[in-house]
Amino acid sequence: MINDETLELHKFMQTRRTLFCYSGPLSEDLLTSISNPVRQQLSESDSDEGVAKRVFGVFIEQAQNIIRYATLRADTGEGVGTIAISVTEDDGFLIEAVNAIDSTKRTALESTLLELSMKDAKELRKMYKERLRSGPPEGSKGAGLGFIEMARRVQRFEFEIADTESGPVFVYRGYVS
Amino acid sequence: MMEQAATQRTPLIEINEAVCRMVGECYPENIQEFSAPVMESLRSMVPETGSFTVELELFYFNSSSAKFFFDFFEFFEEKAAAGLTVKINWNYRADDDTMLEAGEDFSEDAESCQFELVEVEVPNDVES
Repeated sequence: MINDETLELHKFMQTRRTLFCYSGPLSEDLLTSISNPVRQQLSESDSDEGVAKRVFGVFIEQAQNIIRYATLRADTGEGVGTIAISVTEDDGFLIEAVNAIDSTKRTALESTLLELSMKDAKELRKMYKERLRSGPPEGSKGAGLGFIEMARRVQRFEFEIADTESGPVFVYRGYVS
Repeated sequence: MMEQAATQRTPLIEINEAVCRMVGECYPENIQEFSAPVMESLRSMVPETGSFTVELELFYFNSSSAKFFFDFFEFFEEKAAAGLTVKINWNYRADDDTMLEAGEDFSEDAESCQFELVEVEVPNDVES
């Protein structure tokens, strides 16, 4: 007999129209391997090129956030997280990412995303340019532009920092259509 | 002369004494490893006087690479301010608003370089 959970997992993914989902340790090497099939999936969907590109852009930034900032797996030093792309009811896309974060980063992350969620396209564009000029903020392992870039590519996004037994977990949902 | 074939995550790069060309994707695994040899080649090959052309056609670049391009254009701004005639062509596909916007943003900072946004047709036989 098939394990119920396996069948449920299949049904769940199918019902949610999930094009791609990965959960586990993430590295740049793995991102190289999965980015082509993700792109393929997106270009085979009925969306136009611009939408597919925006989804891909959000996917890459979020994957690199997990690689750089998620709480590290002790044995390999790789960031651990879940990342998924699904088709929404209005045939747009939902990009979801979940990863554990260091509790000391919580406040900064919350205020950054809250600030971004209140800005319009023009303000985000301006902010992106300013950040490009000023360089990365303290504690950033990239250019400090990732979340601004993501905010520019999505129609809207939601985020939450959930408390779990093992510490705070960052949940991100970005919508592109 | 520097020549580097495109990879899945990095563009084709050609740099000589007259031209710098980059075509393709830009979201390298390690931005420092990607950018250091490029900037090194530019510093050793771009002349002080005369003219120089930069041809860019990017399909996608990530936010870490944006910082690289910012430094890249800064390099040419300094050269141009010091007497080199620099022409930058930012080629973008007609349906690509993201790359058009990015080009517009970079062009706003160009004072000494001649920065042009060039719309290119999407080739029919190429799937991207």
